[in-house]
Amino acid sequence: MSTTILLGPQRFTTTVGPTVRSLGVTGRIAMVNSGWEERESDDAELAGHLDGRGVNLRLHHRMMDVLAKDEHFAAAALAFRDRMDELRAFYGIRLQAAIDAVHAVAHRTSIHAVGPIAEESAMEAVREVDRWYAAELDELYGAVRATAPTDESGTIGWHKGEIGAILDECEAVVIAGGNVRTLLRTMRVFDVVLRPDQSVVAWSAGAMALTDEVVLFHDFTPHGVTAAELHDRGLGRLPGIVALPHAKRRLLLDDHERMSVLARRFAEHRLLLLDDGAVVRFPDGATDLPAGARVIDRTGHVSVVGVA
Amino acid sequence: MERLAVNRLRERLPLDGPTIDGFVERFGCPIIEGERATFLYRGDVDEVWVRHRVVGLPDPLPLKRIGESDLWAVTTVLPEGSRVEYQIEIRKGDHYERFNDPLNPRLAHSPMGSSSVCAAIGYRVPEWVAYDPEARPGTLVEEHIRSKALRREQPVQIYLPARFNSAQRYPLLVVHDGTDYLQFAAMKTVLDNLIHRLDVDPLVAVFVPPRDRLKEYPNHAPHARFIARELVPLLTERLPLIDTPEARCLMGSSFGGIASVSTAVRYPGFFGSLMLQSASLVFTDIGFDHGGGPAFDPVVKFVNRFREKPSAVVDRLFMSCGVYEPLITPNRSMVPVFRQTGMTVRYTESRDGHNWENWRDRLGDGLAWLFPGPQKFVYE
Repeated sequence: MSTTILLGPQRFTTTVGPTVRSLGVTGRIAMVNSGWEERESDDAELAGHLDGRGVNLRLHHRMMDVLAKDEHFAAAALAFRDRMDELRAFYGIRLQAAIDAVHAVAHRTSIHAVGPIAEESAMEAVREVDRWYAAELDELYGAVRATAPTDESGTIGWHKGEIGAILDECEAVVIAGGNVRTLLRTMRVFDVVLRPDQSVVAWSAGAMALTDEVVLFHDFTPHGVTAAELHDRGLGRLPGIVALPHAKRRLLLDDHERMSVLARRFAEHRLLLLDDGAVVRFPDGATDLPAGARVIDRTGHVSVVGVA
Repeated sequence: MERLAVNRLRERLPLDGPTIDGFVERFGCPIIEGERATFLYRGDVDEVWVRHRVVGLPDPLPLKRIGESDLWAVTTVLPEGSRVEYQIEIRKGDHYERFNDPLNPRLAHSPMGSSSVCAAIGYRVPEWVAYDPEARPGTLVEEHIRSKALRREQPVQIYLPARFNSAQRYPLLVVHDGTDYLQFAAMKTVLDNLIHRLDVDPLVAVFVPPRDRLKEYPNHAPHARFIARELVPLLTERLPLIDTPEARCLMGSSFGGIASVSTAVRYPGFFGSLMLQSASLVFTDIGFDHGGGPAFDPVVKFVNRFREKPSAVVDRLFMSCGVYEPLITPNRSMVPVFRQTGMTVRYTESRDGHNWENWRDRLGDGLAWLFPGPQKFVYE
């Protein structure tokens, strides 16, 4: 079985080279950096870290090609994007109100033990909003699949053939960060399948894409929806984990109440912090968090897996 | 606290030319020491003043001659973060003259000309104001639109963000005094930078200059009709815009703020948001003696009427005003009036005046609030 490794952000502390070498991979390595969008082709530095063995799948470039050549699919993709944007707008309104209610209830003095019950109920309301969003998103995916099935597009099929051929001859895959929405969309359209025997190294948005629930967060973003937002399903290679790259820069980790709300909201997941220098290994197909991984626990504190 | 440099200089009387030369060269002008600003002037004149429009400070602010020398000085309080535009006025015999401070190279520009700038300790030009070679530039397209409402060809400049793609959908920002925002508030550079930094969503902006500003901006039906019934529909037809009120915003400063509000009032629900910078929200509580002169008569009439029957004409309203400008009190007073209607209001103040650099410096806060960027999606 293969190894999956999640890394911290690579911009300032670059560890992808030695990490990939530690896998003992001798063959070619597929590179997915479609999250970089129009900068996708600026991959020389990344290829250098892979000792020149990297092959870029060019998913963003391929997506642009599909949108230019397949009018039917392009129209369906545009309609999907517009509907998803609208869904996200309504989700944001409902979510922010629900999260604000949790904090308001938590701050209210409770003399007769109603407070904790009210808080759990408010939290369940947040989870219900998340469930509603996920269900509506599933509906949207179902609709777009029915309208413009990707397997009926000759252009997509041609690209999928090329991508499949490249992946077949690659021993490992690296998935870089960037725009997680674009990254997921491109991987989904071309149905990028990571074989169980293929080792994967991913960071930032790439790490998020490997999980089953992609959660957007930025506690320092000045405006808009300030609550963490469920975005989409990921590839599901690492289920039960919410990946939180740049945690120190993007999360109010010292606000334990806020962090506790986040952890309890995604109670069935472990909230994994992926800061600069982080290396989290899942050897032999494992999906449990290894000892040493840093997570946010239900009390809202940062704890280390395996440390009592 | 260490004594002021100018007071230390006074101990060295009588002052000769080289001593003054060395002092001015060393300290420049104005001299900022903590929350004190010392203005200097050098010349053979009878009187000197600093002319400014800072509410709360005497205007004109007289300078005093230091000893028998040709150096004049005055020190005033200038709180941290302040930014003040000013000029020097001199009298020599019966002759008065007003000009920018010859000892201060820092200037600000506006349609009325230029002024000297005094920046207090703690004031910094936002980093997104300067040209950033990393930020991919958007494009400005000049057009003339035939307006039945205005009965003329109306020039506009349309900003398309970098990587503009007709397969995308964009919100629309309508900018009153558009040419001035581009020229004096560096708004194209600001938009390029804020979008590049993911602070602001990529948007289309249309910069609209007035022809007769004092007539067209204070609650003028043809202007409002042009914006809401001609310009926006035309752009929506031709460009990939998000065709919902939430994605349409009107902005303006001073009278341009009134043009924005009054257009929204005439077409309630058509625009989702407003960005008002130092809007001329002058009103009277009794009588009609507003002190603003005839140009403000239609403004006061409009604002008074709105205050009598306030209504929610948009969802979201960003307001900013400088605490040193006369409009600070009307702006502060209107915040609760707007909020009472149910509109979501974000209001910020700055230690600045009624000028373009103040409005430029507030663009980041306002635009990021009105059009939050995609920061949450990007994890490099």
